[in-house]
Amino acid sequence: MKKTVLIIILFLVAAILSEVNASSDKEIICASTTSTENSGLFGHILPIFEKKTGIKVKVVARGTGAAIEMGKRGDADVAFVHAKELELKAVEEGFFVNRHEVMYNDFVIIGPTNDPAKIKGIKSTIEAFKKIAGSASFVSRGDNSGTNNMELSIWKKTGIVPKGQEWYLEVGQGMEKTQRIANEKRAYTLTDRGTWLATKDKDNLDMVIVLEGDPTLFNQYAVMAVNPEKHTHVKYKEAMEFVNWLISKEGQQAIGSFKDKNGNQLFIPNAK
Amino acid sequence: MNSMTEGFLKAFSLIYNLDQELLGIILLSLKVSGAALIISSIIGVPAGAVIGLKKFPGRGFIITLLNTFMGLPPVVVGLFVYLLLSRSGPLGFMGLLYTPSAMVAAQIILALPIVASLCHSAIVAVDPIIGQASITLGATPYQKAVAIIKEARYGILSSVIAGFGRVMAEVGAILIVGGNIAGYTRVMTTTIALETDKGNFELALALGVILLIISLIINIALHLIQRKGMAGTIR
Amino acid sequence: MNLQLRASNITKSYHGDRVLKNTSYSFNKSGVYVLTGPNGSGKSTFLRICALLEEPDSGEISFLSDGKLLMNDIAMRRRITLLLPKIGVFNTSVFKNVAYGLKIRGHKSDGIKEKVDKALDFVGLSHKKYQKAITLSSGETQRLGIARALVIDPEILFLDEPTASIDQKNTKIIEDIIIRIKREERVVVVTTHDMAQAERLADFMVIMKEGKINEP
Ligand SMILES: Nc1ncnc2c1ncn2[C@@H]1O[C@H](COP(=O)(O)OP(=O)(O)OP(=O)(O)O)[C@@H](O)[C@H]1O
Ligand SMILES: [Mg+2]
Repeated sequence: MKKTVLIIILFLVAAILSEVNASSDKEIICASTTSTENSGLFGHILPIFEKKTGIKVKVVARGTGAAIEMGKRGDADVAFVHAKELELKAVEEGFFVNRHEVMYNDFVIIGPTNDPAKIKGIKSTIEAFKKIAGSASFVSRGDNSGTNNMELSIWKKTGIVPKGQEWYLEVGQGMEKTQRIANEKRAYTLTDRGTWLATKDKDNLDMVIVLEGDPTLFNQYAVMAVNPEKHTHVKYKEAMEFVNWLISKEGQQAIGSFKDKNGNQLFIPNAK
Repeated sequence: MNSMTEGFLKAFSLIYNLDQELLGIILLSLKVSGAALIISSIIGVPAGAVIGLKKFPGRGFIITLLNTFMGLPPVVVGLFVYLLLSRSGPLGFMGLLYTPSAMVAAQIILALPIVASLCHSAIVAVDPIIGQASITLGATPYQKAVAIIKEARYGILSSVIAGFGRVMAEVGAILIVGGNIAGYTRVMTTTIALETDKGNFELALALGVILLIISLIINIALHLIQRKGMAGTIR
Repeated sequence: MNLQLRASNITKSYHGDRVLKNTSYSFNKSGVYVLTGPNGSGKSTFLRICALLEEPDSGEISFLSDGKLLMNDIAMRRRITLLLPKIGVFNTSVFKNVAYGLKIRGHKSDGIKEKVDKALDFVGLSHKKYQKAITLSSGETQRLGIARALVIDPEILFLDEPTASIDQKNTKIIEDIIIRIKREERVVVVTTHDMAQAERLADFMVIMKEGKINEP
């Protein structure tokens, strides 16, 4: 009797596991970043791609560094990220092949509506950062995300070392939380336009864009396949189908037609 | 406060209009945690019983080890399983990373020490007179062990409940090894984390409420079984 | 011939305190033996060793049947039983408590039911059959212990203070039970501090003092 019960239970577990793990052959794992996934872009474009090719794309969202690392370790088939230098380095090291630029979004500097550091009117991001330093607070994501890296590279160009300064707050949080903290602290921060547009009303932010349009602030997204010579198990063929679709006319159109829930276009397709 | 009430209202409307995607997420949570718990119990209860009943060298060390593992942060377990299952790791050839199986494996590591350790405590707490009584009535050493384990059954059940609580509430480990892939490895807790990240507090809170309700139902059911153990008559 | 028990030169110490000092005694004839003696004289210890629940430091417990020496194996152990002062109630129903000894001997459930019903009837607990055993009163618990021991039909039955902390009415009931279970080919050993009770029950009186048995 008891043995039967045990066997039934084990059978059940086996059934559960085989069911939940059931997966079609035509699927790939795409390493991407949290901000990309949180934007909702994948929910818009992947069904279109899947319908056309029958390939299911499973997105695993990580920080930029971890996403590239996933590909290096062979835990993904394709990477869709936005950190040009890291990407090029990984391609050079032979971990990835066929890197293509796909789309971009841009960053903006936001600050309190009354703009205490008088940034409005300045055109250069570097000048703006220099002016904020010392005269107002600045909130940094401090989480080694793409946005955070962009911010740090700007500080580098200013020659200022913000870390440890009284006016510089590293919060280690996602973009939206960082914005909210900046709002509370009457501070400036660097954010991506998508998050800003999607959350400024919802979160009742008493903030405005104080600088935009500087080419330094463009955030380029690229896709690249994991090198099948490094990891023989990767689904290179399917991965390349995805890469090629993203940069095709159809894929580019899909990206351009994606709107957030407030009707704003978040990404501008720019594949060559 | 406003988003609190909104969260609760949204929770009930979500439950009421239970959509396919949400149902899938809830079912996957239950399946993954359920499978992890059953496997942990099948291994952990006998292990806890052996540690509780037998004196052998290294026993104290094992108990200390189990107690230490009970407090291990899930992220650490997740990282460990990740490195193990990664294609570049020792078990990479199995291709288990970012599958529900990987999540089950991580949750087993989280639940097993709890089940085994609390099960051990439950057995040690049984009055030694029970074992003596069974011997005087003619029990073999094995039958004596069974008698003691039966006597500890409600405590053992508690150990399983505690294990369930740990895995149902856990997010750090399954996020790392499951990847939170929509429709495939996305469970309740990882969805809550994601929605919180996105700033959808109402939805996150609503999912939290649903998680709470599920835990409540399961705990009430188990509590009823335990109460049966205290009641006056049994058949 | 009944099963005979021979305890020879038993010694036992706890933490250096010698409790049993070269104690010897033989339960040869069937009947009720009453073992008395001051608190701490070693009666319970002696019973536990005789019932093979504990090992002596030295000396030997041997069982004889028709003059032949038997092996102290599990089959032998199952022919005797000891009712402990605290009987060790299993946290389940009265019925299942009594059925335990039969279950571990692999009896069929029909036979178990019949025998358990008979044993419960014998000690007057039939109406408590489905009650949780841990909720019984002290007197009822003691009778449960006797039923649990009797159901396996032991050839030697040790009862360690079966009427301690029991009221007069229940003491009377238990004494009656002890008298009724007397039969040819059964040895019953009872410890008590109640001298009147000892006189009522005893076919043989055994007195223990400071770990030694003196036959009067
Ligand atoms: N498990 C044990 N560990 C340590 N000492 C023990 C143990 N069992 C018995 N003793 C000691 O052995 C001595 C004899 O105890 P035992 O229970 O045999 O006496 P008793 O004659 O049954 O006394 P009572 O009439 O009070 O029941 C006591 O001093 C007791 O403290
Ligand atoms: Mg005693």
